[in-house]
Amino acid sequence: MKERSYHLLTSSPPLLHPYRRRASRNAQLTGLAFAAPWIVGFIVFFAYPVIASAYYSLCSFDAIRPPRFIGFENYRRMFTEDDLFWKSLWNTLYMVVAGLPVGLAASLGIALLLNRKVKGMTVYRTIYYLPSITPVVATSILWLWLLNPEMGLINIALGKMHLMQPGWLTDPAWAKAALILMGLWGAGGGMVIYLAALQDVPESLTEAAALDGAGKLQQFRHVTLPMLSPVILFNLIMGLIGSFQYFTQAYVMTSGGPQDSTMFYALHLFNRAFLDFRMGYASAMAWVLFLVTLVCALLVFKTSARWVYYAGEGR
Amino acid sequence: MRRRLPGLAWLLIAAVALLAPVGCGRLATGPAPKQVIYWTGWSAEEFNTQQRLVDQFNREHPGIQVQMLSQFGNSGYQKVRIAFAGGATPDVMSTIWADELAGYAMRGVLEPLDGYLKRSGRNLERDFTPGVARMLRVRGKVYGLCATTNTSFIAYNKAIFREAGVDPYHPPATIAELDAAARACTVYDRRGSFVRYGFRPGGLALWAYVFGGQWVDPVTGRITADHPGNLAALRWLASYAKKYDLKKMQVFQSTFGSDQTANGPFFVGKVAMWSTGEWAEQFVRRYAPKLEWGWFPLPAPPGGRAGCSSAGGSVFVIPAACKDKEAAWKFLDWFTRAKPVARFCSGIGNVPPVVEAGADPAFQQSALFRFAVNLSRSRNTFGPPGTPIWPTYAREIGRVEGKVMLGGGDPAALLADLQRRMTREQLDAMQDLRG
Repeated sequence: MKERSYHLLTSSPPLLHPYRRRASRNAQLTGLAFAAPWIVGFIVFFAYPVIASAYYSLCSFDAIRPPRFIGFENYRRMFTEDDLFWKSLWNTLYMVVAGLPVGLAASLGIALLLNRKVKGMTVYRTIYYLPSITPVVATSILWLWLLNPEMGLINIALGKMHLMQPGWLTDPAWAKAALILMGLWGAGGGMVIYLAALQDVPESLTEAAALDGAGKLQQFRHVTLPMLSPVILFNLIMGLIGSFQYFTQAYVMTSGGPQDSTMFYALHLFNRAFLDFRMGYASAMAWVLFLVTLVCALLVFKTSARWVYYAGEGR
Repeated sequence: MRRRLPGLAWLLIAAVALLAPVGCGRLATGPAPKQVIYWTGWSAEEFNTQQRLVDQFNREHPGIQVQMLSQFGNSGYQKVRIAFAGGATPDVMSTIWADELAGYAMRGVLEPLDGYLKRSGRNLERDFTPGVARMLRVRGKVYGLCATTNTSFIAYNKAIFREAGVDPYHPPATIAELDAAARACTVYDRRGSFVRYGFRPGGLALWAYVFGGQWVDPVTGRITADHPGNLAALRWLASYAKKYDLKKMQVFQSTFGSDQTANGPFFVGKVAMWSTGEWAEQFVRRYAPKLEWGWFPLPAPPGGRAGCSSAGGSVFVIPAACKDKEAAWKFLDWFTRAKPVARFCSGIGNVPPVVEAGADPAFQQSALFRFAVNLSRSRNTFGPPGTPIWPTYAREIGRVEGKVMLGGGDPAALLADLQRRMTREQLDAMQDLRG
């Protein structure tokens, strides 16, 4: 039995000298002891809740009284009876499909601008990065003022240019656009990653392209962009996951209004769990969100073989 | 070295295990007073006002030591839920909204107070205002007491009334008069934008009662979202959406600050009538001390309910898991008696829910508070109905209202749909409660 557990615990070849065997077993235990805080934390705060939520999703559960098993009833209700489920899913997909590309493009655009050799560039980089480390709640409150239809700076500026002044967060047709606009303010987070990748694009490649007669646009299209594609993939996946979980801004600024136009999936889930005592239903919603996100991420990965270029790989 | 480390790790674990109880334990020095842990939902200045009362209680009751902790804000109320779920509750708490009382009570996590009330010679219906007393009873049993309540009425700007030709000494008493006054006080500029508006009604949950409606049948507990009175109220709200461009009104309103800032539309004379409560007084005093203003109860239509107001706010409860319920009750009983209630309410500018406290000079000196105290004693004061799904229900009522007011939805169809959904929701909750 001892031998067996020894084999399970170690990857080093068996039949060692007894002393060394004990030593390496002790090393294993020491390693486990040091990793224990993380392992315990992982099991208690991550693995258990995940497994429990899968079970609760099959229950009617109010978080106070014991769960009551009801099979797939939560899922059936979600798909067939909950109008807000579909509405919130649609709103969230809107943020993924419309908001995410805009955000990615903005980060990349800023990164390209800040990659030029201009005096005082580090100052500019800092300025553009700053908003992304401001707490979301603080940013949201600030933007409530900027987006005020009559008094906000944005509409005052639009008015001065004789352009249309939308109602932003007070108008269901513009509320999501307002949130996307606000999201651009935090583009600095993605920008930093792009900047790092841009510095890795070998100048020899762009120079070679230039010698072959490629213009700036062609250099960007055929050299820079392919070299950046792994980083774009990374930002896309992270952005995808983040967009599907869009919550804080809507919670702070609109509570889902006006007329459910900013009722995002995570907000609806939160309301069901913490306002309505429907923890089982909320767990089911969380699993559906997980599956939707997973499928989207897999689709992106599947297509990535066609557009992501890794240096050293043949194409 | 390598062989010694596991021993060290064990030593560390043993040390932590040995030291842990030291942090939790108390030094034993004779018979200590009974500790009552009290979670309050009030913060800042209101917390301080309450702390002074708690200190007074502690001085007067040497055998009990109440320790008050603030659990303010949304996270505080979530913490309450988690505490109930884990059975780790304090001894007394006022961190429960009236909206949530029935839900918690029916889930069996609150101590019924009927026996304690009786033994202390108290009577809920006699001691408390009618709306509050009704709201504190869940399926016949009392699950909490209140130390504060609020009222709902309409404040109006007398100067605007005069200018618009509405008699400032006879404010609207019927819905028809209210509509007429609202129209007379509304002014547009040449482009059709608002310069000032008369009234923007809101709050279907309360207006339904004004029109004779109800949300839950008080006898059977059945959901009655499609009650004809509710429909009449919603249709009346919709009439404002037809008469005025509410989106424009909302944009116009957002130009000014919220109702609690110096720039609030009522304080700067941009709206003639304002749905508010007794707390308006301190804001007017602070932001528009020269404003010439008055107030009147919600007007009712023929056949409706006159003098309707809302009851609600924080409820004091003893969790079922409380270990020393007698000590907890002593504090709860003391705090909800007329004198402490009068001191607390006058200190934080609320209306006392205890009938006797309303006679206190602190309230009788102010014309507005005399009015509010009277209003709070009206039989037509309504708190959250006793259904465990009220937080959900109230939110859904708000969504229906939004769909009608801003989206032009059909009132009858929306209420019928609400009826169907909430009946289902309540049925689910009841099934859960049966286990």
